[in-house]
Amino acid sequence: MKCACSAEQKRLLHDISVVDFVLVEMTLYLDTHPHETDAIDFYNHYCRIKNQLMNEYANKFYPLSLSTCDNYSKEWKWALSPLPWEGAWY
Amino acid sequence: MGEYKFEEYFDQFPPAMAYVPWQNMDKIYEDLDEALQIGTIFPELTKPFTGRRCVK
Repeated sequence: MKCACSAEQKRLLHDISVVDFVLVEMTLYLDTHPHETDAIDFYNHYCRIKNQLMNEYANKFYPLSLSTCDNYSKEWKWALSPLPWEGAWY
Repeated sequence: MGEYKFEEYFDQFPPAMAYVPWQNMDKIYEDLDEALQIGTIFPELTKPFTGRRCVK
């Protein structure tokens, strides 16, 4: 099912996937190297980037995770946004 | 785990045991898009399947 996502939406989704993958790899590395501070700094750097991208996506389109929902608007966006099988994912 | 120095204990390892060398985070792929395609951000872990039998 082709989703009607804009180019920017696809770019953001791709960037989030790339950064999230870096965090997964670093988590695995840090599990066996818990005292390597430069690896921890590296992880924190990309963690901040991911949060920025997720918030940007939530503001422009819809929240991808409950933690990026802004619950101050009059509607519960989490329930109103498209689900993955409804074409939310490209 | 502390500071685990793989090399220091090498001579004390009993024979016929399998060892996995310790990973060091010395290189990361520059292009993270490419890293996602390859499946790791660490070049030293990139072990593509070459699709043929072991060569003697």
